[in-house]
Amino acid sequence: MPEAAIAVRDLHKSYGGKPAVDGLDLVVPRGCFFGFLGPNGAGKSTTIRMLNGLIPPTSGTIELLGMRLPEQEIEIKKRIGLVPDESLLFDRLTGAEFLEFAGRMYGLARPIAIERAQSLLDLFELRETRKLIAEYSKGMRKRLAMAASLIHHPDLFLMDEPFEGVDAVGARLMKEILLDQVRRGATIFLTSHVLEVVERLCDRVGIIDKGRIVREASMQELRGGSESLEDVFVRVVGAGREFHELEWLK
Amino acid sequence: MIRAILRAQWLSMRSFRLASHRRGAVFSLATAILWYGFWTLLAFLTEEVTAQPGLHAQIADWLPIGLAAVFAYWQLAPLASASLGASLDLRKLLLYPVPRRSLFLVEVLLRITTCVEMLLLLAGAGIGLLRNPAFHAWTLFFRAPLALAAFATCNLFLAAGLRNWIERLLSRKGMREVIGLLLMLAAVTPRLLFITGAPMHRFAHLLPAGRYPLWPWGASAELLLGAHAGLNPAAGAATLCAWIALAYLFGRWQFERSLRYDLQEAQATAVTARNRSWADPLYRLPSLLLPDPLSAMVEKELRSLARTPRFRMVFVMGFSFGLAVWFPMALRGHHADSIVSGNFLAVVSVYALTLLGQVTYWNAFGFDRSAAQIYFAAPVNFTRVLAAKNIATAVFIFLEIGAVATACSLLRLGISPGRIAETFVVVAVCALYLFAIGNMSSVNYPRGMRPQRVSSGGAAGRTQGLLFLLYPIALLPVAFAYLARYAFRSQLAFDVVLACAAALGAAIYVISMESAVSSARHRREMIIAELSSGEGPLAAD
Repeated sequence: MPEAAIAVRDLHKSYGGKPAVDGLDLVVPRGCFFGFLGPNGAGKSTTIRMLNGLIPPTSGTIELLGMRLPEQEIEIKKRIGLVPDESLLFDRLTGAEFLEFAGRMYGLARPIAIERAQSLLDLFELRETRKLIAEYSKGMRKRLAMAASLIHHPDLFLMDEPFEGVDAVGARLMKEILLDQVRRGATIFLTSHVLEVVERLCDRVGIIDKGRIVREASMQELRGGSESLEDVFVRVVGAGREFHELEWLK
Repeated sequence: MIRAILRAQWLSMRSFRLASHRRGAVFSLATAILWYGFWTLLAFLTEEVTAQPGLHAQIADWLPIGLAAVFAYWQLAPLASASLGASLDLRKLLLYPVPRRSLFLVEVLLRITTCVEMLLLLAGAGIGLLRNPAFHAWTLFFRAPLALAAFATCNLFLAAGLRNWIERLLSRKGMREVIGLLLMLAAVTPRLLFITGAPMHRFAHLLPAGRYPLWPWGASAELLLGAHAGLNPAAGAATLCAWIALAYLFGRWQFERSLRYDLQEAQATAVTARNRSWADPLYRLPSLLLPDPLSAMVEKELRSLARTPRFRMVFVMGFSFGLAVWFPMALRGHHADSIVSGNFLAVVSVYALTLLGQVTYWNAFGFDRSAAQIYFAAPVNFTRVLAAKNIATAVFIFLEIGAVATACSLLRLGISPGRIAETFVVVAVCALYLFAIGNMSSVNYPRGMRPQRVSSGGAAGRTQGLLFLLYPIALLPVAFAYLARYAFRSQLAFDVVLACAAALGAAIYVISMESAVSSARHRREMIIAELSSGEGPLAAD
């Protein structure tokens, strides 16, 4: 059996006694495009932050690419590409400067970082803009964040809502790049509220609700017959919820 | 509507500051107690002095001067400290159908955040006058509160207008530096007048109320003192009313202009990297001396800070203050013939070091905001992150010293190369102590700062006040070196004590670094949350 890219066992994270992630068990095989879904506040972002070491878990174990976190934190980080929900871009740098900075932070020699930064700017169609990141649109910022996650050629991508605010053309470009990464053997762990995107890209999906995995399967298994991913998702996490009409809104 | 805005702000502050950042709340409380405790003491002393019946003649003479000082502090101190206080975040509030006069009223009330200390002093003076039998008259019970309230109202309207005007000015390219230059000129002018032998006594008549009652401080004093000082309280009241009306119109006018102001547009023309490409080779210098990722982080820090309006404003202030000290001395032909003047370069440079603290080492991740998470996500040792921040700050400090020293040399002030070298060493040793404390505060009390805003909130003013009390303690070991030179009249004594101070500073720096790195590891989640946190309807970073 091939080594898992992500292996999480009995992961807990509590805030003031209230569990945000409550006994999460998850195995993501290498080379998988994994969609991590859940309603708002289900624990998706908290899980991703624990996976990339930004926050420590309350308890449980995390293994990424066969290495334990936090024991082998530095080695793991070298092989992870990260697109978090909060911006990690420095507003007072240009796109090229930021990419070069990111490359050097991940251990690339400066000339290589500069060369890769330029080619990524070309690829993500950010080359023409020499303006500071502070002046970037939301979509440009997301594209730049994704470019930065690629610069050190990582084996595992952790992406929190990478398509949020990106226009259709930019999103198409980003999807193709991600699919290319999976074809070369990289693993992608992605959260998104846009279920059509997940449906089109991912070959495996996990649904989290109230901090626990409530369904995990391949896309084919999940959809079964003619059900769309949205139907499955609503059925799994939205069952029993009723829509109450407000009198004064009628 | 106003209550809804203030409640939203209170809830924003309460939910974040008090729940997730208790230590920060305790620190804020401690600084507030110290700062306002100091001003309460001063207000008490003012009350005691103004209550003395034997001093009634002096009180009549000095009251307008005191009120003029309060007026000056109220209007200028927030600007001089680059701490303009809290203000409405109009981007958030303009969405709602709030009447503009309500917004303006909140904006005016927020000016209290920069002048609580002045209100304490005014209250002290008012109570003292009421207790003073020499001024005793039943009408004083009406006139005193009325005069002080009117004076405060006038100041609030004027401060609201000035703040809006200055905030817009400072957001434009080049204007920040011009304002810095004007501040420097304002600081230099009295010294220039004094040194060049200008007849200063001719300006004295501007202050006493009896001779110049048309200014707000003169009119307020006239209303306060009344017939006891041979003044006409009715005339004072009329003048004050006119001032309040003018201040209101000015404040409202500037507020309306701020509502129509497009900050993004103003700054879009201000910051493009193309204009700065000439500086690229300079930013690349760290790569020649330091290994990656340290050099990458230093380079990023140099680029970011140099393009940050708020940092540039403080940098220019540090430099211009240096010139403000040296330039009048150049005109006077004064040379290093006293302890203080002989060490002015060091004094000015240490001042610049302390001034830069608020935008660098005290809150090293403030401008990074949520982007600081890259330091935790990337495979780098956090020791290097803090070291890179410190190195970049040191580069700017040394640039300040170089600029001031160059200006002094051009003005032929007789600064020897040895004295310049000594200043570099002294500042480096001071920096060790301040960086040691700063690294701890950066990870324990991080606070997101908006790089495009040159002002900061009222809390920042209090913190700065406390820091000015802490600086003498932090810089004590270096002060001992100067004391040794003075006491023993020996350069060797200075060198030995300075070397000891450097060794002690290095040890403290290393210990503090380890502690800061450990705190950062444990508090990383909190640090990112605090730096990424949103704000309420009031902007006070």
